[in-house]
Amino acid sequence: MSFGRWLGIYGPSYLEGLAQTGLIALVSAACAIAWGGALLLARLAGGRAGARIVDGYVQVFRNTPVLLWIYLIYFAFPPIGLTWPAVVCGGLALMLQNGAYISEIFRGSFKAIELIQFDAARSLGLSWWATFRKIVLPQVLVHSLPALGNQVILLLKDTSLLSAISVAELTMNAKLLTEQTGAAYEAFVVVAILYLVLVVIVELGIRWARHMVSWRPPHHAL
Amino acid sequence: MLVLLLKGALATLMLAIVGICGGTALGVGLAGLSFARIRPLRLLYRLYVFVTRGTPVLVLALLVFYGLPAMNFALGPYVAGSIVLVIYGSAFFAEVFRGGVLAIPTAQLESGRSLGLPPGAFFRKIIAPIAFRYALPPYVNVCVMMVKASSVLSIISVWELTLAAREIIERTLQVFTVLGTAALLYFLICFGVDRLGRRAERHLMHRGFMGERA
Repeated sequence: MSFGRWLGIYGPSYLEGLAQTGLIALVSAACAIAWGGALLLARLAGGRAGARIVDGYVQVFRNTPVLLWIYLIYFAFPPIGLTWPAVVCGGLALMLQNGAYISEIFRGSFKAIELIQFDAARSLGLSWWATFRKIVLPQVLVHSLPALGNQVILLLKDTSLLSAISVAELTMNAKLLTEQTGAAYEAFVVVAILYLVLVVIVELGIRWARHMVSWRPPHHAL
Repeated sequence: MLVLLLKGALATLMLAIVGICGGTALGVGLAGLSFARIRPLRLLYRLYVFVTRGTPVLVLALLVFYGLPAMNFALGPYVAGSIVLVIYGSAFFAEVFRGGVLAIPTAQLESGRSLGLPPGAFFRKIIAPIAFRYALPPYVNVCVMMVKASSVLSIISVWELTLAAREIIERTLQVFTVLGTAALLYFLICFGVDRLGRRAERHLMHRGFMGERA
């Protein structure tokens, strides 16, 4: 049947998968950013040993595919008693993998803070935790925004792998639809377009965030 | 079991090599397209890169694996997987090469211009060496990405390390051991690629980088 007709009949069935994908991506991204921040903290506060451990963690996740970790958590957790739903297992794997990359992004932004700021903080009498909260964290977050946006897009694309452990998201939707209707080409083209739409949404969100944090002259100043 | 995993690692390596070679070749052509004089060609490049980088590898793989037979183009899993890797990689490689070319200092390009070099020699002597040296680190990154993307092909039943590991797990249920070994093999492959890249960088630095010697 024609593409338009096919879309009209099966289009709405994509919405649930789309919502699920968006939700998984959102929650995983938030957790991954938090986890990346925790890794940054571990690197800064842990001294040489802490930095080495975080480096090792990052290397492990840089050199292994995320699908392996998804399988590991999904297949290995039930036998040891943790019967989490598939979504949580997959989300955890995504969080661990992307957290490693995000901690590297944060590390780069941290290096971009001029050393003189730490001297200034010291002379103001700020404690280590206070300098982290008031000097390091805001600047690191703002400086990382573009790279974080990129990483969120990668995370969004990796959510499609969750279909391998039968999570009901967009790619799974397309696979089921293909089996039902046999129209593989149409099914996957629509899914590809939907992923592109999600990517555009994330990019627009990042642009909005960058605009929000950028310095603009106050409206009363002329 | 270990032998099976090693065979899978070999298959992964072969897939990655095919993807890297094909992706590099296609990527060079695409990068050239991105500098075309005619605007529609440049827009075509932008569209291709946007679509290819914006869709997940899995969706691309499913599209090729299930979609092409629907158009009477039946392919085996290995060929389909290789095509997916080549297409997916070409977009990333093209961006890497484009970035390398854009990083060339204008002074070098102007000097080349003032020497009156013909286009072929201009490319061979000025653009290619400098762009290649700038592009090498991200190029190695993309190569590692290709190795990791090959694991996704296991979902369309391309037999490689991840699928081998899954098969062994279904038979023996030793999840941690098998997946841990598979992870170690992937780590060794990717780490090896990374090291090779660093060696290449050092070698090129030794040969000279725009007049600076290491």
